[in-house]
Amino acid sequence: MAQLQPVGKKDDDREDDSEYSPFYGIEKGAVLQEARVFNDPQLDARRCAQVITKLLYLLNQGETFTKTEATEVFFAVTKLFQSKDIGLRRMVYLIIKEISPSADEVIIVTSSLMKDMNSKTDLYRANAIRVLCRITDGGLLGQIERYLKQAVVDKNPVVSSAALVSGFHLLQSNPDIVKRWSNEVQEAVQSKASLVQFHALALLHQIRQNDRLAVSKLVTSLTRGTVRSPLAQCLLIRYTSQVIEESSANPQSGDRPFYDYLEGCLRHKAEMVIFEAARAITELSGVTSRELTPAITVLQLFLSSSKPVMRFAAVRTLNKVAMTHPPAVMNCNIDMESLISDQNRSIATLAITTLLKTGNESSVDRLMKQITNFMLDIADEFKIVVVEAIRSLCLKFPQKYRILMNFLSNILREEGGFEYKKAIVESILILIREIPEAKESGLSHLCEFIEDCEFTYLSTQILHLLGNEGPRTADPSKYIRYIYNRVVLENATVRASAVSALAKFGAAVESLQPRILVLIRRCLYDNDDEVRDRATLYLNYLNGGGNEAHSKTFLFTSLDVPLVNLESSLLSYDASERRFDMSAVPREMKHQPMLEKKTPASKKAAKEAGQKAFANGHLTSSASDAYEKLLNSFPEFSGFGKLFKSSPLVELTEAETEYSVNAVKHIYPQYVVLQFNCTNTIKEQLLDDVSVVVDTSEAEDFIQVASRKLSSMPYGAPGQAFVAFQKTEGRLCVGKFSNILKFRVKEVDPNTGDCDDEGYEDEYQLEELEVTAADYVLKTVVTNFRGAWDAINAENEMVDEYGIGVRESLQEAVQAVITILGMQPCEGTESVSSNARSHTCLLAGQFIGGAQVLVRLQFGIDAQKQVAMKLTVRSDDPEVCAQIHEIIGSA
Amino acid sequence: MGLWESFLNWLRSLFFKQEMELSLIGLQNAGKTSLVNVIATGGYTEDMIPTVGFNMRKVSKGNVTIKLWDLGGQPRFRSMWERYCRGVSAIVYVVDAADRDTIPISKSELHDLLGKPSLNGIPLLVLGNKIDKENALSMQALSEQMDLARLAERDSREVCCYTISCKNSTNINDVINWLIKHSKTKS
Repeated sequence: MAQLQPVGKKDDDREDDSEYSPFYGIEKGAVLQEARVFNDPQLDARRCAQVITKLLYLLNQGETFTKTEATEVFFAVTKLFQSKDIGLRRMVYLIIKEISPSADEVIIVTSSLMKDMNSKTDLYRANAIRVLCRITDGGLLGQIERYLKQAVVDKNPVVSSAALVSGFHLLQSNPDIVKRWSNEVQEAVQSKASLVQFHALALLHQIRQNDRLAVSKLVTSLTRGTVRSPLAQCLLIRYTSQVIEESSANPQSGDRPFYDYLEGCLRHKAEMVIFEAARAITELSGVTSRELTPAITVLQLFLSSSKPVMRFAAVRTLNKVAMTHPPAVMNCNIDMESLISDQNRSIATLAITTLLKTGNESSVDRLMKQITNFMLDIADEFKIVVVEAIRSLCLKFPQKYRILMNFLSNILREEGGFEYKKAIVESILILIREIPEAKESGLSHLCEFIEDCEFTYLSTQILHLLGNEGPRTADPSKYIRYIYNRVVLENATVRASAVSALAKFGAAVESLQPRILVLIRRCLYDNDDEVRDRATLYLNYLNGGGNEAHSKTFLFTSLDVPLVNLESSLLSYDASERRFDMSAVPREMKHQPMLEKKTPASKKAAKEAGQKAFANGHLTSSASDAYEKLLNSFPEFSGFGKLFKSSPLVELTEAETEYSVNAVKHIYPQYVVLQFNCTNTIKEQLLDDVSVVVDTSEAEDFIQVASRKLSSMPYGAPGQAFVAFQKTEGRLCVGKFSNILKFRVKEVDPNTGDCDDEGYEDEYQLEELEVTAADYVLKTVVTNFRGAWDAINAENEMVDEYGIGVRESLQEAVQAVITILGMQPCEGTESVSSNARSHTCLLAGQFIGGAQVLVRLQFGIDAQKQVAMKLTVRSDDPEVCAQIHEIIGSA
Repeated sequence: MGLWESFLNWLRSLFFKQEMELSLIGLQNAGKTSLVNVIATGGYTEDMIPTVGFNMRKVSKGNVTIKLWDLGGQPRFRSMWERYCRGVSAIVYVVDAADRDTIPISKSELHDLLGKPSLNGIPLLVLGNKIDKENALSMQALSEQMDLARLAERDSREVCCYTISCKNSTNINDVINWLIKHSKTKS
């Protein structure tokens, strides 16, 4: 993370008193001349060492040597093997190691190094091993392997470490040879020298890393306590958490393995071990608050450490924990508050953002005051972190929007780079979208901002938003001035967007139209083509077009074809033939950035992005828009009505299988469309007629009405197949679908791209897909829960009590219920303070059909960890209340 | 060499240590590294591993310190011989006198090397090793087959040839004397 870098301000301080290197400004040519002293018959060891230092300095400054230069230097350096001066020999090793990649024939020093490797001088032995492993090739390695193996168990720790580290490098090129050293390396793990133990453990793990069982055995035997070196202990902790990660397939089966070991490390005497263990614990997947407590306690102690690095490490870890377990971190709030004034700005920033995450509503005002003082001193990248923290705070406590919005507009006025301003503007845009009350004030802040905004990108974005939102406010006319100012003052790109924004006001607000027309007419004399074209077009629509509805749809809806496809169609369009036909542009998206999944890594990222968006309470509107547009482009689905909700991606295959498939559930009022995103990961195959056959025997409420095949699926290019179902009316339809991927396989020669014509039918079993009640609920943000609650007729309230059974903690129970309902927690009530015996959680959502639903959950837990829940539901539609109860009752 | 001069040399040798630098080359398995060992320690071992690259040895004989660059003889290293022969006091070229098949290669490598202008005038000592073996060439035959006369004539350099056996330490003293003599003329 960027926080590791020192803050800009500190850098400035350091620059003043920094001393320049004595070699500053030396030239390569001159140094190469000097290197001739290596050839003198009477060597001056001191002078030679100095010249080598200069050469190394140049290399480290990024100077490059040509092949001839490097080779020349290299051979001259080899002459220095005649000197018995230990210091010079050491420099010789260093320069050979550095220059070996660019010089020819470095193999010539092999024999000399082999001699040094068996020398009596420890320094020679250690360094010769390191250099030798760098220059050697597979063939020669066989000859020296015997010595290397011996060196691994050498008495001298420096030699042993050198051999182990070399083994690490050799493992890349010659794994088989290094794997034969297992026994020696294992012996070295027991070494008393801490560095040797560290290197040996790392190498041993590296050798065995692909064998899960072996790694697990290694960890099991070493955690019993033979590792003394703190560094090695840190490594062991990392390997342990890896083993825990892989073995925690069934977390319900009793205690987590190795947790006791990690907890024991919290009492180690070395700080780094304590920290590593604490961090490992906080990063365990599905960590419970009981497991977290000891780790948080030691981190809390670190917060008041006198060493900045410990404070930084602790606060950074707590910051991460606060994202997932805010209540666990709350205990540290007092210590954290004292860090706000820490000299180190990285620590202070992290402390503030952590506090923003864990704080409750009452502390918001105080924190904001502190942040304001502090914003001036920090670099842009930290400011962005703060802005992001404030954005999520605002979504958590919507009723605080006024103070937070004010803060954002204040910092918007101050100096800052593009990324920073962009983060602020984006935050305001999100707040405007999520919190209706914040719209007016947000818009006026943005208007003020564009009066003096140097970033074209931001100006156009804001103008677009003004065009869409402005006409629907109470007093649209006040925005006109700001927008028209842009036409007068700004560059062509901004002017063009300003004209579009004006036209939208003209179309949407009847009373403003005459005046807008005057303004747009003036733009006809603009000196930019695009601006004039737009003005002419809009005038035409607003004036003579006559058909008002048509002009409105033209202005307010975006293009219904993917831009990529439009671009490629335009490129292939020949102007001489006939008019360009928009409807001929393919609507099927070749690939959506959201769904692109070429490598497992990007797949994971996409999945995480999907989940993150979902966790924030909504799919980002761009994604759901894209889905809707995609679905409407198929005639089979276009009559289904308005898309209610699209679920996040659900993986239906394991990672790294032949075909990778994930699915999205699109919920319509009467229909459900399953979208299967398939990727063929076999280079040698082309798949034709790809379809998904869905068995609805466990989902009887669904009747299949349509399906859409994917005609061809070449290697690596994702494609989509669809199946649509009609739901039984009047019921909340849930069920499990079992899916089989059917296709025709054609062999492809990956080199030539030829494929055989015949092919054969094949099928591939996918995992089951479940439609649950949560799919019918949309998360919505309610700013004033009490107000909204009271606004709904209390007659529609339904109350019931449920026993949830034994749970680890209240937090877990709350989380489980939220997941089942798929609703948006309000006012930060999703987090339970630690040790609480009871908790109230407020949820808001929109049920399919459009009815708003508000839920109040009251939980209680007894000494036996039995959790009971009282569920109160209010909705305009009493039917919906009953359904919510039914969901809980049947879960 | 007059009496006076030799007296001066003797006097000089009391105060100045003399130094010389030698390059030891020849095809692989000719016995270069063995020769170094024999000169340095007098010891001999049968099983040697091929020299990968070069070995640097310093040997003191009397008041002369000899720096020996013992270079590998495999084809991949032959192109690098020249770099280590520049500016030395003498080049020692070792030939396996018992391996008659490789003599022509040995000859052409030597002639190629000495054709380089950077090595002009450097004295050459050719040693026919392994005369303990039955079918070893005589000094005369070796000298002819290596066409040493042409080398001496073409480059007007001093060329000398001995046959030796590292195994039995035959003629090793002659070699050392030749070397010491050349260190003196050089200095």
